[in-house]
Amino acid sequence: MTDHFPPDSAAQPDSPVPNDGRRSFIKQATGFLGLALAPPLISQAERLTAISKKVEGVTEMRLKVNGTVRTISAEPRVTLLDALREKLDLTGSKKGCDHGQCGACTVLVDGRRINSCLTLAVMNQGKEITTVEGLAKGEELHPLQAAFIEHDGFQCGYCTPGQLMSGVACLKEGHATTDGDVREWMSGNLCRCGAYPNIVAAIRQVEKSGFKS
Amino acid sequence: MNHLDPQRHVRGESQYLDDVPTQQGTLFAAVFESPLAHGVLVNLDLSAALAAPGVVRILTADDIPGDNQIGGIVPDEPLLAHGHVHFRGQPVALVLARHEHQAHAALKLIKVDIEPLPIITDPRVAAAQGELIVPPRTFKIGDSAATWASCAHVFEGVAESGGQEHLYIETQGAYAFPTEMGGVRIISSTQGPTAVQRHTAHVLGLGMHQVEVDVTRLGGGFGGKEDQATPWGALAALGAYCTKKPVKLVLDRMADMRMTGKRHPYSSDFKIGLDKDLRIVAYEVTFFQNAGAAADLSPAVMERTLFHATNSYFVPNVTATAFSCRTNLPPNTAFRGFGGPQGMFVIESAIAKAAEELGIPACEIQRKNLLRENDLFSYRQPAEMCHAEQAWDTAAKEFDLAGTRAEVEQFNQQNKLQKKGLAVMPICFGISFTKTPMNQARALVHIYSDGSVGVSTGAVEMGQGVNTKIAHVAARTLGISVNRVKVESTNTTRVANTSPSAASATADLNGKATEMACAALRERLLRHACTEYTLNYEGLEIRDEQVLAAGVPAETDWEKLVSSAFWKRVALTENAHYATPDLHFDAATNQGHPFAYHVYGTAITTVTVDCLRGTYTVDALRIAHDFGQSFNEVIDRGQIEGGAVQGIGWMTMEEIAYNAEGRLLSNSLNSYKIPDIYAAPKVLDVHFLDTPGHPKAILRSKAVGEPPLMYGIGTYFALRDAVRAFQPRTALPFSAPMTPEKVLVSLYPEFSAAETGWNATAVGTPASIAS
Repeated sequence: MTDHFPPDSAAQPDSPVPNDGRRSFIKQATGFLGLALAPPLISQAERLTAISKKVEGVTEMRLKVNGTVRTISAEPRVTLLDALREKLDLTGSKKGCDHGQCGACTVLVDGRRINSCLTLAVMNQGKEITTVEGLAKGEELHPLQAAFIEHDGFQCGYCTPGQLMSGVACLKEGHATTDGDVREWMSGNLCRCGAYPNIVAAIRQVEKSGFKS
Repeated sequence: MNHLDPQRHVRGESQYLDDVPTQQGTLFAAVFESPLAHGVLVNLDLSAALAAPGVVRILTADDIPGDNQIGGIVPDEPLLAHGHVHFRGQPVALVLARHEHQAHAALKLIKVDIEPLPIITDPRVAAAQGELIVPPRTFKIGDSAATWASCAHVFEGVAESGGQEHLYIETQGAYAFPTEMGGVRIISSTQGPTAVQRHTAHVLGLGMHQVEVDVTRLGGGFGGKEDQATPWGALAALGAYCTKKPVKLVLDRMADMRMTGKRHPYSSDFKIGLDKDLRIVAYEVTFFQNAGAAADLSPAVMERTLFHATNSYFVPNVTATAFSCRTNLPPNTAFRGFGGPQGMFVIESAIAKAAEELGIPACEIQRKNLLRENDLFSYRQPAEMCHAEQAWDTAAKEFDLAGTRAEVEQFNQQNKLQKKGLAVMPICFGISFTKTPMNQARALVHIYSDGSVGVSTGAVEMGQGVNTKIAHVAARTLGISVNRVKVESTNTTRVANTSPSAASATADLNGKATEMACAALRERLLRHACTEYTLNYEGLEIRDEQVLAAGVPAETDWEKLVSSAFWKRVALTENAHYATPDLHFDAATNQGHPFAYHVYGTAITTVTVDCLRGTYTVDALRIAHDFGQSFNEVIDRGQIEGGAVQGIGWMTMEEIAYNAEGRLLSNSLNSYKIPDIYAAPKVLDVHFLDTPGHPKAILRSKAVGEPPLMYGIGTYFALRDAVRAFQPRTALPFSAPMTPEKVLVSLYPEFSAAETGWNATAVGTPASIAS
């Protein structure tokens, strides 16, 4: 409830901003619409080369999820969350509110965490998407997954995939060096069971272990 | 001890309702809700919606083959509105379409004509008009009325506590499949599989044997899925029954918030009398419970409010009366604590009022009046194995209450614009369903011929770790590794007539049944070992999967023993039934022995208030809690921490707001704030009290689900303490939640006129939101 922005946040203007799904949505959606309405905007078009440009009706799109490129048929209005859950059977990412308010759907796109309910699948073609299913390497858990188990960082488990993805990004961004930092940079992920102290402990432990993603 | 669930949780592999793979041909359902809070349903025009793309069928009350009734305690709640609507968000029709978005799109094409009727949202107004769910109840011991004259101090006041949205991150839902012979199978996100089964059978006009309900796990329940998972299960089943196709119904977040009930808001009058030594000699309280439009669980919640009206204190003369008031809001329901917290908030308010008027710290009154061994509660059950004073004194010592108080006072002397506050919150919570017949459970245990074990009970896993506890009980009783044990989904065809996973009693009831079944299997196997290996039964045991005869390893281990028993045709399946002994309660006299035991504890809360902004932080919550003999400290500690955080939310930031038309204003996570990671106290210490546990608790490990929520009440009083340090003269009503807005207003009473909406708490329109 207090303002707890880390003192160094102003000093790092280029550091990735987590959970800014709304902003990137608007930015990207604007670009996308601009593309549809004005094809000569080539710079945007190049980014979307060889990917679907349809704005209506079912279309094929290619999504690179957890290292594998997969093709799905979906309308452009389909969110990344729905595409993951309903088209790719990756149900680890959860739909808690569908409004970007709870964080249960957090995934990584090109290493940045976003609320997958606030971005369209079609906008994420050609990008590296990582979901909770892609964290472990086979039997070997990601250190943060192991730390969540060790510290009991969950109860019902429903927010856990989102917490983990946010936590992984938090570590990578360098936002896990103090408890206060972790609180600030994890504040977009709600846990109704109230496992917060353990979530902080798990992330801090991985940070202290010197893990670099 | 880690079990399998955590492994699946962190891999995203745990399957919740919405993750169940969609069967081909599935129809998706969306619920059309009443747009008005009260009125006569004159006409429903479905024609445009039926013509919408993908819409297959729209079901109304007329399509219900059985009885359109899902009321659990009182039959006053239709599944689909018929004739009248009684709250905004009441289900009126069910749209079935090929795609989810088509079902939702069609909702907007339904036209409904409702003749409005007067709307009540305030429980006191409802009570004045005689709108009661059930007749009022009074718990009485001694004679409070005759005592006032002899009291040295008497104080009166009003206390109000708000509602609380459950906000399980997994919303309500169900997935129903038509079965052979005209029945249905429902995968449901419910705490009460039997409730879904019973009401669905009733609605469809089927026997309960034709309705199967299966639950794997919930993404949170907290009471919100005890009775209120039923409509969605029954609606999905109705769709499957009528169309002969699978039907999936998952509420979106805002629909869930609009349509489902919450923790009951209470408005209460109290009167407390103390003698010159600060002993509480008399307490009178009248509770007005805002039940919403239908009974749901309100009468039971109201009863528990009365049970816990005196919290952890001995009061010889008590008169506690409760009214369950019918209003035009969604039916309010169970929420962790089940009315207990609402009752405790009032007596804590009464004590705070007395302390403030007398100019002494509240804890002087609190400590002096704690329950002692064999003190009688108002319902005549004695406090047995009472740890109220032990909990208080241990907390005071372990967490240096005197030093903390001195620190707070020193801080407040040195700081003008920041003030600290301190409160001590003792709790006492009774464990058992207060409806005695519900205190029964069954377990079905299979030992497979390879030595692995499957356990089915009526317990629903919703994050409280009950499956892990049950697996542990089975493994310990059989003397084998927990890795051999699988706890199956909760299914009405394997374990029937279950009580909901509620009342903190799930691990006790289902764990005891599991223990009994496993003990019977163990005995059978050891008897078999006696004959098979010519051993003496006395001193025979299974430990770490090895059969020991008087401590010496015999020539057989678990796997060999099971295999040999199977080949000798020994039964390897056991079904056990447990009913908590010695419970009785007479609801006519309100006397008896309703609880198996009580759980005690004490929390010390410190807060800091920013006196310019009204914002605050919970600096520390330090708890000494009576776990008994915990056999899984990780799970138990998590329950304490999580429960306390939820309690802090209820008392501070979670503000439910309806307007006068009964429309929910706090209708999303934008306008309703639950504790985020900042709301968790900076320091959250849990001390395990050295207590023996109770023989009626599973392995003497006491129930832990609900009690910690009430530690959160301390935060309200700590905030109040801090506000008074800044503004001693402020007239502070007892009104929770203590939002930052309310703190700010109370810090500067001169800037807030009388009409700033102080009395608008849970119901009514807070000034901050009114338009």
